[in-house]
Amino acid sequence: MVDPANEFMKDYQALAQQSWDAWTRQFQQQPAANPFAPPAAAAAGSETLERTLAGLKGYFDWMQAAASGGGATSSANNWQQQLQQMFGGVSQPFAQAFGGIDGAGAESFARQWQTWWQAAQRSGFGDMPGAHGPTPTFGQSREQQMQQQEFGSALLESMQASARYQELIQRANMQGVQHLQKKLTEHAAPGRQIESLKGLYDLWVDASEEAYAEIALSDEFRDAYGEMVNTQMRVRQLQQQQTEQMCQQLGVPTRSEVSSLGERLQALRREFRASKSGSSEESPDEITVLRREVTALKRKLANAGAAKTGSGKAAPGKSSTAAKKSVARKEIPAKKKSTSKKKTAAKSTRKPVSASKSTARPRKRK
Amino acid sequence: MQTPLHIDPTKALTDMATFQRKLAAGMANLRGMREPEYANTPRELVYSEDKLKVWHFTGHGKASSKAPLLIVYALVNTVWMTDLQADRSMVRNLLEQGEDVYLIDWGYPDGADRWLTLDDYINGYLDRCVDVVRARHDLDAINLLGICQGGAFSLCYTALHPDKVKNLITMVTPVDFHTPDNMLSNWCRNVDVDLFVDTTGNIPAGLMNYVYLTLKPMRLNQQKYIGLVDILDNPVELENFLRMERWIFDSPDQAGEAFRQFIKDFYQDNKLVKGTLEIGGQSVDLGMITQPVLNIFAEQDHLVPPDASRALGKHVGTTDYTQLAFKGGHIGIYVSGRAQREVPPAIHQWLRQRG
Repeated sequence: MVDPANEFMKDYQALAQQSWDAWTRQFQQQPAANPFAPPAAAAAGSETLERTLAGLKGYFDWMQAAASGGGATSSANNWQQQLQQMFGGVSQPFAQAFGGIDGAGAESFARQWQTWWQAAQRSGFGDMPGAHGPTPTFGQSREQQMQQQEFGSALLESMQASARYQELIQRANMQGVQHLQKKLTEHAAPGRQIESLKGLYDLWVDASEEAYAEIALSDEFRDAYGEMVNTQMRVRQLQQQQTEQMCQQLGVPTRSEVSSLGERLQALRREFRASKSGSSEESPDEITVLRREVTALKRKLANAGAAKTGSGKAAPGKSSTAAKKSVARKEIPAKKKSTSKKKTAAKSTRKPVSASKSTARPRKRK
Repeated sequence: MQTPLHIDPTKALTDMATFQRKLAAGMANLRGMREPEYANTPRELVYSEDKLKVWHFTGHGKASSKAPLLIVYALVNTVWMTDLQADRSMVRNLLEQGEDVYLIDWGYPDGADRWLTLDDYINGYLDRCVDVVRARHDLDAINLLGICQGGAFSLCYTALHPDKVKNLITMVTPVDFHTPDNMLSNWCRNVDVDLFVDTTGNIPAGLMNYVYLTLKPMRLNQQKYIGLVDILDNPVELENFLRMERWIFDSPDQAGEAFRQFIKDFYQDNKLVKGTLEIGGQSVDLGMITQPVLNIFAEQDHLVPPDASRALGKHVGTTDYTQLAFKGGHIGIYVSGRAQREVPPAIHQWLRQRG
């Protein structure tokens, strides 16, 4: 026998899905191709849009599942089980939000490894060189073989580190549900019950963030995070080395060469500026040093005087109850008179720009 | 025991329908919407060097303050958080209080800036900006307002050039980088920063944004956008939302060398509070800061925990130290309604009392 309620729900879901798809299509449409538009700008916009849509879609899917799967109906006996189904089930409707952790900024790195990994697998050598430990290399291509092994080994390490990191993220996700259960027990009393899906969702976000923060502040996470970043960087570094070798063979200037030029230029700029101001970087000019010493002496004298009266400030770096500072809301020190009327024109190593009125908008990133 | 879930199925369906309706309506509101402008408080360019610019905000009347206030923002994100929109502009509010406001816009570093060090930023760029403002006002010393990382720069600068700073204000400034609730610090403690910078060169803004989003992944990757659905039918709120999105994601890359030093010396080794920090070969001693200091921090700051800022009181040399705890977060301290009512007036009042 057909259940009218179920049929209605199915029809509604189909309709809602159509509406959602239309919305998604509308905003995923790319603007007409402009040959002068920088591709990076379009990509950045697309990434933001994808993030927005993914977030909304996850929530929308969850609402549907919760409403149709009985999550909306309440029962004193099975609410915890329902909760597990709604938040901790296999589908994990909000995995996207946590999943975003390895998306966006990190995406370009992940994409690079995949490309290299796939290329290596297609190369006909079967497993990635180095994936099963070092193998002796010899012959004319000895160096290249070693590099390949090193790269394979680094890639494997990076994937393992990434898996370890993801495991912690998953743990945070699971513990979020436990936190939610705990929070919900505080809402069992009449008048405090959760009466909307949005209310339940917001509470779950609070619980998830708490669980995530506990893990993210742990030593275990610190190790996993460092390992993930370091192994990713090692892979990237080896990629760059191989790319540079290829460029050198083709006579193309490499990033290292350009970077070295930049480093030398910046060093020259510093030297030039230091010589113009009549002091070297290594030894700050005498007047500055003397001024600092005078300031330090004044401070010592003030501290000594204050210590005598018992109301002075403790030496820097030492905590002392006697040295507690006034707090704005509690005490505002008496108004001071201006101490120095001496006016000296400050020297500038650059000429100020002649004042020109401008209400121009901030410069956009190129 | 009662069930904590008391969700009426009919209401659940209604909520879904409402969600759908708002999405459909939002399509029309979002389509063709232009990128929202910042407040663009009138200003004049008074100095530029490389990609850096110093802006002087002109305001409506003559400033009543005796010394100008130079705002030193962080290298991460753009400076326009201080002048976000007309009714949420710290800069505009400070002008209305009577302050004479200057702002350093660090610009967007590219490959040519890869080798800029903290010495270049603090003893170079920042020092020259201070000199320009001093010269314009014929003063020995001016007031500094350092924000977040810019606050750490201002502390270093004041310790190294005490004669040029009259009063120092720090906002949401990390000082002790090893407080147990500092998530960013925990994450970067085992990162091989040399390998990282040697590999990436400048640090891409996208990567920085990704790290910030992962501080609160559920809120920032999803909940925020679900909240957006509720304001899709409100053009003003929608514009505010999109303006904030613009500010968050239109951010500069980080100069590689400066990033390397900042992470190693500040985040990993916590040298600022240990007293072992050196900038350009000169030792940075917070005890050298003897001018009045106002330290403002946010009680719900997820980027710079309050304790990381509070630590300044223990290490700074001045006997005139004031701290102000703001009830809000790292961004709310600039743009919330409460911030507009509390922060600029507190800064002005504090400065006025010190001449």
